[in-house]
Amino acid sequence: MNGSSGRTTVISRTVARIVVPIILVTAIALLFRGHNLPGGGFIGAVLAAAAFALVYIIFGLEFIQREILAIKPDGSEQHRLVETYRWMASLGLAIAVASSLAPLAFGAPFLTQGVLFLEHLPLYGELEVASAFAFDLGVFFAVVGGLLTIVAEVGNE
Amino acid sequence: MQPTPEVVLAVVFLPFLAAAFTPVVYRILGERTAYFAAAVALVTLGLVTDQYLAGAHGTVSFDWIPSLGVSLAFHVDGLALLIAFLASGVGVLILTYSGGYMHGEPGQAKYYATLLAFMGSMLGVALAGDLVALFVFWELTSLSSFILIGHYTGEEASQYAARKSMLITVSGGLFMLVGFLLLVWASGQTTAIEGTTYSIPLLVEHADAIREVLTASGLLVPVLVLVGLGAATKSAQVPFHVWLPNAMEAPTPVSAFLHSATMVKAGVYLVGRFRPLFLPEDAAVLGEWTLVFAVLGLLTMTVAAMLAVSATDIKELLAYSTASHLGLIIAAFGFANSYGAEAGAFHILNHASFKAALFMVAGIIAHEAGTRNIDRLGGLRKHLPVTAVIAVVASLSMAGFPPFNGFYSKELLFESTYYAAEHMGGVAWVFPVVAVFGSVFTFLYSIKFASLFFGDEPDGLGHVHRPPVAMLVPPAILGALVLAISAQPNLFIEGLIGDVYGSVVPGEAHSFSVHFPTELTPYVIMSIITIVVGAAAFPFYDRIHDAINAALRGPVRANWWYDNFVEGLTTASVAVTPKIQTGLLRTYTTWGLFGFVALALGGYAAAGVSLPGFDGLSVSIPIVLVLLVALVAAFAVDIAPSHVAGVLTLSIVGFMVAIFYILADAPDLALTQLVVETLVLVIFLLVLDRLPAFYGDAPDRLVSVRDGLLSLAVGGTVFLTVLLSTNASPDPLLREFIVARAGVPAEHGPFFADYGGGSNVVNVILVDFRGIDTMGEISVVVMASIAILTLIRMRTRGETQ
Repeated sequence: MNGSSGRTTVISRTVARIVVPIILVTAIALLFRGHNLPGGGFIGAVLAAAAFALVYIIFGLEFIQREILAIKPDGSEQHRLVETYRWMASLGLAIAVASSLAPLAFGAPFLTQGVLFLEHLPLYGELEVASAFAFDLGVFFAVVGGLLTIVAEVGNE
Repeated sequence: MQPTPEVVLAVVFLPFLAAAFTPVVYRILGERTAYFAAAVALVTLGLVTDQYLAGAHGTVSFDWIPSLGVSLAFHVDGLALLIAFLASGVGVLILTYSGGYMHGEPGQAKYYATLLAFMGSMLGVALAGDLVALFVFWELTSLSSFILIGHYTGEEASQYAARKSMLITVSGGLFMLVGFLLLVWASGQTTAIEGTTYSIPLLVEHADAIREVLTASGLLVPVLVLVGLGAATKSAQVPFHVWLPNAMEAPTPVSAFLHSATMVKAGVYLVGRFRPLFLPEDAAVLGEWTLVFAVLGLLTMTVAAMLAVSATDIKELLAYSTASHLGLIIAAFGFANSYGAEAGAFHILNHASFKAALFMVAGIIAHEAGTRNIDRLGGLRKHLPVTAVIAVVASLSMAGFPPFNGFYSKELLFESTYYAAEHMGGVAWVFPVVAVFGSVFTFLYSIKFASLFFGDEPDGLGHVHRPPVAMLVPPAILGALVLAISAQPNLFIEGLIGDVYGSVVPGEAHSFSVHFPTELTPYVIMSIITIVVGAAAFPFYDRIHDAINAALRGPVRANWWYDNFVEGLTTASVAVTPKIQTGLLRTYTTWGLFGFVALALGGYAAAGVSLPGFDGLSVSIPIVLVLLVALVAAFAVDIAPSHVAGVLTLSIVGFMVAIFYILADAPDLALTQLVVETLVLVIFLLVLDRLPAFYGDAPDRLVSVRDGLLSLAVGGTVFLTVLLSTNASPDPLLREFIVARAGVPAEHGPFFADYGGGSNVVNVILVDFRGIDTMGEISVVVMASIAILTLIRMRTRGETQ
């Protein structure tokens, strides 16, 4: 399936160009609103991974490397892409672990979550932030990274 | 006085700390690391001496696993101090001796680190006042022994020996653990102790109550046997003695330290530690305890002494002799009279003094004469004069020759066997007879060892070098100790052994004293018989040696059982593996699913669950329609002509389920189902690209029927599981709590409130209330991706290998 453009139609390529950004924005929206409305880190992550998979099927792996991640081809290019995904997964896990360990610094048990009340912010005034959002962000990156590693590596074959 | 907590902690953990730093030290000091390690041992010895001089007696305890009642407790008393003195004192000598012996040997950093770690574990065993702590340190000694026996990692004999000792001692330790847990259970059954306890001193204090519970439930003998198995495997008692001669593959200092003076004493220590628990003051002369341990000990003492006579290698001779003397101690502890306890307590010290010296002598012989074969050694006196003196003193003590210290403890054993026999009469007369019979062989091999230094030099014995000072001083110190104990036995008994005696008998105990016999008592006659018969038989040593070797064939040898058992297991695994591990994914799936169905249904049957009552369906028409479509799609999957068609049809089922979720008011589930379904479809299509477009020929009818039945069973099990699990309703408290705490609090403090802070309860549960589950799940996702990465990348590599 590496051949890409030779095997996909103009229609699919055009649709993908329009649809992929919308999917990605939706995914991020799902992540952000997840705490109050249907959505969340996991759903957003799977959707984002699906968007990348779509690009990958329609345009091929090289396109993602060249155009989106700006990795120059150097022979072992596909492995470098997977490296990026793996880093993303590790980053996600690191965020999740770090946000769970943070309460320990304030004398609270591991994984304590709560609501932070930020006041006197410009534009917003007062803002309520669930500390669990940092954990959700970790979930998002871990799942996107993990799934894309699988998709890219399986697709390489 | 109570022991000082800091000092006791330092005694146990200082060697471990030093072990951790040994690799670094080795980089700086090189081979002189031996003296660093010896210095650490010396500091430990100093700390033990400090506690001894302060008259420490009692328990110190640190929290370890408070929720289970397990603590890191250390109990200091006579027995603990004796073993701690042996571990640290002999440790100093052995580590110094290693400085000479290990010159130019490989793997020294590992060697010294492991020896130090072993010393810490042994001190832990000696001082442990908690069953779990005792077990942990106990297994740590097995582990370090494994590493040290296998020191020469490249040699097959070392590998075999290391595996053998590990298999035997660790499995024995597991039996012991079961025994410990039964004791803990018993402590929970009595009203004498509040709750359950892991504390050894507390168990001993309430010995009568514990014994009562065990006797009433018929568990007394099982517990004795389980704990006895731990002691017997560790102390190389018949028939588990087979690992000890092989363990001589280790460098000689290790044999002297672990396999004569300390680690093998752990089993003896265990028997001594639990003696007051199982042997009350008014115990029967021939109770369960005596039957188990006196018989085990005397059997080992005799059999191992005969095997020592059959040995052709000096280290093998000493190994069997060690097993034999440990048998003597265990037998002594086994007898329900005070002489037995005295003999055991005293012989622990005596045996350590002469046997460690003899091992170091054997190391000098092997090192300087280049051979350990008894037939090729002789007349060493001329080349090794100092060593010869040490060897003669230690051998005579080992033989139980008066007036050396070994004589006193052996006299006490004879005395206890005699009294046991006199009280019981009849069959019990076997005890003194066997004790004398075994001692004759002890006498024989002891004299044989000493005779290596006399007579003519055999041909072929090359030039014998002088040993370095570092190798000569440690055995000389031990030899001097043998002489000191022989000259003033009562000084040592008063100083320490009396307290050891106090630790191994129930209740308050007084010290004891020994005297050189001046009149003809029955047990003096036993000693005289031993020496006279031994001396008369010595000229025929070679014939006895050959006769025993000729008798040791096939199933008579315990090794035959061990080797055949291990080999049988290996053969069975080799035969079974290809049947289970076919390398075909479908085999694993079939067995995996079959196991799932069997276990789940078996579990339901065992728990006796009943199906919930059926009270009519109440679903709306749209849901019925959606599920009908899913049903049709599910059937269509089975008749799909190609992989792609099958997968696409399968995804219809998935999407229908998503719609069902929407209709059932579960938007989060629906969203998840939709995106996951989409992604899975994409991944499937990517994989299918590599597979043949169409299915192969229709499979065997029998296989089809089997697969069909399995599918039905899996479906049925899942259906049943859903029915049962949805029937249960969680505690309404839980729901109220989640609803109350999920959102943003109406009234709150200035900056932080321990609330979920979100109106989507599902997500709040995922990332807040059950955050640790989610943490586990994302770890699994990342691990799965790494696993797939490895599988796909390594696949080609695996094929070429």
